[in-house]
Formats: sequence, C-alpha cells, structure tokens
Amino acid sequence: MFLIFALISLLGALMMFRMRNLIMAGLSLVLCFTGVAGLFLLLANPVAAALQIIVYAGAILVLVLFVIMLLASHEEEPSEKPRGIQRWASALTVALLGASAFGLVMRSPLLASVPDSKVDPMTLQRLGVLLFKEHLLAFEITGLLLLAAMIAAVSLVKREL
Amino acid sequence: MTPTQTLLHGSLQAYIFLALLLFVIGLATVLIRRSLLMQFMGIELMLNAANLALLAFARYRGGDVQGTVFYLFIIAVAACEAAVGLALVVALFRHKQTTDSDRADALKQ
Repeated sequence: MFLIFALISLLGALMMFRMRNLIMAGLSLVLCFTGVAGLFLLLANPVAAALQIIVYAGAILVLVLFVIMLLASHEEEPSEKPRGIQRWASALTVALLGASAFGLVMRSPLLASVPDSKVDPMTLQRLGVLLFKEHLLAFEITGLLLLAAMIAAVSLVKREL
Repeated sequence: MTPTQTLLHGSLQAYIFLALLLFVIGLATVLIRRSLLMQFMGIELMLNAANLALLAFARYRGGDVQGTVFYLFIIAVAACEAAVGLALVVALFRHKQTTDSDRADALKQ
C-alpha cells in the first residue's frame, strides 16, 4: 500500500514540475496531495488525511486554479533573457542538496533502527481534547491570523478601499 | 524482513525519503520554473513534504497527538499564506500584466 500511494504522490509532483499548461500542473498537484492523504491514512492518522483533502486539495488548490483562470495565464510566458547560467546553477544546487540529504537519510543508523510499534489510530476526540486543553491560546491566535490574512488579501487586491 | 523490504513496505526511513523527494521536486519547481503561480505551487509542495515528515515522526513516536495539533496549525498558516500570496500575484498582474517572476524586477532598476 505504501508503495502505491508513494508512487501516486511522486507521479503527481513530477507531472506538476514538467507540465507546460498551468491548469494541468495544478490538477497534477491535486493528484499528489491525494496520494499524500493516502500516506497519512497509512500513518494511522485519518484526521490528518481528511484535513489534507479538505484544506489542500479542496481549498488551496481550487484557489490557485481560480487565480490561474482569472489571470488567463495558462502557459508560462516566453522568457525575455535566456539566463542559462542561473538555470543550470539552480538545477545543480537542487541535485547537490538532494543527493547529500539522501545520503544522510539512508546512512542514518538511528532512523533505520526505529521500532515499528502498533499505535491507535488518531481520533478527532483525542485531537480536540489536547487542542483545547493545552493549545487554546494558539488556537485563538490562529483565528486572528486568518482574519488578518483575509483583510490583507482583500486590501491588496481591491483598487480603492 | 531485509532492509529493502522494510523500505518498500513503509518504514520511518521510507517516509522521510519520500518527503525528501517531494521537497526536492518542490524546490526545483521554485528555482527553475518562471511563472509565479508555478513557484507558488512548488512552495505548497515543499510545505506538504514537511508535513509528511512531521506526521511520520509523530506516528513512530507511538502515535503522538501533538504532531497532529502542529499539523493543524501548519495548514491554518498555509491557508493564510495562500490567500496573501495569491493576492500579491493578482496585484502584480494588475500592475505589470505579467505573472513571470523574471519580469517583476522593478526593485533592481
């Protein structure tokens, strides 16, 4: 099962990276997020899987697709300057960073020796009790933050307030 | 099971490895693609890879609930970031009729 969901999310991410058409790229990202939601299910965390589908695949990606269609920028514009060096330098940086992090993960004896214990699946009840017992202040501040972001977004886009 | 088999059936190492791959693809999207909207999607992908690593660690710590609480806060912040970021892209498009990050270089001139 792990392999299936991992391949789905990797395929979605790679398609997002390669697609010329921005709408197709956004839809591939939906595929990727759905695969990640499946991985959250395998991690015994159905709450996170549901949140992933509702918030990421449902809300954020729909907002991105909406903006792509609103601005009618379905294709990447042709570049004015080639900027070849920058492109190769960034590809090289990504490859180096990826390779070194890969080496760290694969050769870490601590990561490999973590025991695979049985865990209870996450429930909304356990999450809610902890959230409102220990993180009440942070929860309220998050509400304020969402309000601030909403006002900021409206004031940025509106021509005259 | 041999180490390869545990990797293929999902051990902590396999989850971290997958999160790493997703992060690298997201980073490559941000660095190589020029459209601001593509770069935005790359950022979302990197954030998602970090979430995957976080929840994998939480599960292998014996199903830690704190990890999921953190995940909740992270997606709340991600929603704010999406709203403000897209508003910025729309404002830039109003101003310069472009969503190309190479053409948004007014601070350089």
